[in-house]
Amino acid sequence: MQSNNGYYGEFGGSYIPEILYSSQQQILHAFEEAKNDPAFIAELKDTWQNYSGRPTPLTFCKNLTDHFGGAQIYLKREDLNQSGAHKMNNVIGQALLVKRMGKKRVIAETGAGQHGVATALIAARLGLECTIYMGAKDVKRQYPNVFWMKQLGATVVPVAEGAQTLRDALDEALRDWSSSHEDSHYLIGTTCGCAPFPEMVAFFQSVIGEEVKEQSMAQFGQYPDRLYACVGGGSNACGLFLPFLEEKQVEMVGVEAGGKGLELGQHSIRLSNGLGQKGIAQGFATMFLQDENGQLQETHSIAAGLDYVGVSPIIAHLAQEGRIQMTYAMDDEVVAACALLLKKEGIIPALESSHALAGAFKDAPNLPKESRIVINLSGRGDKDIFNVAKAMNDATFPEFLEDYLADYNTDNQGEA
Amino acid sequence: MSQLAQYIAEKRQQKPILSMTHVVYGYPTVKDSLDWMATLLEAGADFIEVQFPFSDPVADGPTIVAACHGALHDQQLSVEQCLKDIGQLGRDFPQARIALMSYLNPMYRYGLEKLVKRCAEENILGLILPDLPYEQAGDLRTYCDANGIDPVWLVTPVTPKDRLAFLASEARGFLYCVARSGVTGNSNHNGGPQQSLDEYLAEINEHSNAPIGVGFGIREKAHVDALKGKADVAIIGSALLDAYNKGGKEEGLKLFNSLFN
Repeated sequence: MQSNNGYYGEFGGSYIPEILYSSQQQILHAFEEAKNDPAFIAELKDTWQNYSGRPTPLTFCKNLTDHFGGAQIYLKREDLNQSGAHKMNNVIGQALLVKRMGKKRVIAETGAGQHGVATALIAARLGLECTIYMGAKDVKRQYPNVFWMKQLGATVVPVAEGAQTLRDALDEALRDWSSSHEDSHYLIGTTCGCAPFPEMVAFFQSVIGEEVKEQSMAQFGQYPDRLYACVGGGSNACGLFLPFLEEKQVEMVGVEAGGKGLELGQHSIRLSNGLGQKGIAQGFATMFLQDENGQLQETHSIAAGLDYVGVSPIIAHLAQEGRIQMTYAMDDEVVAACALLLKKEGIIPALESSHALAGAFKDAPNLPKESRIVINLSGRGDKDIFNVAKAMNDATFPEFLEDYLADYNTDNQGEA
Repeated sequence: MSQLAQYIAEKRQQKPILSMTHVVYGYPTVKDSLDWMATLLEAGADFIEVQFPFSDPVADGPTIVAACHGALHDQQLSVEQCLKDIGQLGRDFPQARIALMSYLNPMYRYGLEKLVKRCAEENILGLILPDLPYEQAGDLRTYCDANGIDPVWLVTPVTPKDRLAFLASEARGFLYCVARSGVTGNSNHNGGPQQSLDEYLAEINEHSNAPIGVGFGIREKAHVDALKGKADVAIIGSALLDAYNKGGKEEGLKLFNSLFN
């Protein structure tokens, strides 16, 4: 979606410290040139295909469709990307742009660690130095991803400021960029931040919706009736939705994290129920969860990738216009949706993506049998094994962890 | 002529360089921060730069970030109360001036037009918002022009030459010259190659009709002395806060006196 000088309606823009002006302008120009350069696009497509495994399938879910007895349910399988999530589409695009700009180092923020791992993967492949900022709490909660980032050669910096989560990691990444901008690129993971990041990330993610267009025509001869995507920062939603923007008959539903309840601090719902308010922070204008004095607030979701305090200015604008319908799913509904997909279709969804499933499953029984819905399965769920085991009260899991730890210590002592 | 620029010009008749000391409002408590400001003014500070805390201060380094988060930790700070408090401070110390610094969001939520009007009422003549670039500040500039308040623009060593010339020519009360890349305080990150501070300030002086303030990384008397004849105001923030954190008002005052008296 083309911005109006960095704005989408009243959202977006570029609100950055003066020190970043030149670097921001450089990215703006480099991106404009690159997206119109056939050689860049060819390299992008080649890397998407031969490194990340695109195109990803559009999978018809017969069992789920029969189960609900309403709309025909399809999944866009972004979980099958290299790294296990749609994050790869964007990091490939930006990393190729980094090479083009002649920079040697990338900085990224990460919440759950998915974007951090994706960035570390592409940095290893393209020979870029890589620093990942991650809230200290997230480092503890998501250690397996931290482990892989380190093995991939990235420096992981735990951020002990503030709430020690994604928002603080983003602040710290911006601070690094303020002093390292001459040789470093801030590889933001979602459709947020100052212009041109929302537009650029949406451009790289739009491959999702473009493929769904082709695949739906090939599989059932028309576009889907409804699209579903979870909305954290908004990148997988932008990726699926934006190519369909002009297809007025295609309805779009964004699903936010309802968390544990609607009190401030318990959820990450920015775009419905009047819970978010317009603000300007972290480089851009959007709907933020904040108090009456304009201080940004803490958020919660069972899916670490959805608990961001702001949201893409593109999604905020399209929601305000009514083009996207916004809803939310609670933590327990999300775990139930995850469990249902496992049993019915043999697919392990990420908890983030399970929000989109939960939203779609509520509507599916009430939609006509001949209608077709596409749910963006933005990532796979292997990373969530600890959280899901806990949420499902798996009795054997703690025993496994204890035994594993005992063995781990014994083996290491043996080696020492 | 800008009231702020006039104040600086008059004071500069007697002093080779003026002092602007930075204090985080509400840190560690509102009362402590106001006491600390009063102490600095009694010691002869020409300006206090009062930072109204924001949860996400992206242009600040560890010292100031920690103070902002500390100030917000267990109390609600209101912009209105802050304006009242520092307005009173200005009336108690009429020989000095107060500038307000914050990030855009708390000010935006309060209302930019109301903010500028209230600043005028409280005689807070300068407004520093590091995440509001000139291009995005059309409304704020209009309100400021109507109320005799000066928005303070920042320039940096990596600001392109034509942009630097433009921002310098737009400066009214004073131009805030960031001395180096990075965030406030002792930066862990390495800045890239930079032209020398003297060259940079000479270039700014060529284009600016307004007084020049220099901040970021000023920690020693030698840093302040090096600015004499090239700038009008030396701005100290993190170094002062580090001293205050180490030994309270006494230690802070010792640093202030060593730099300026």
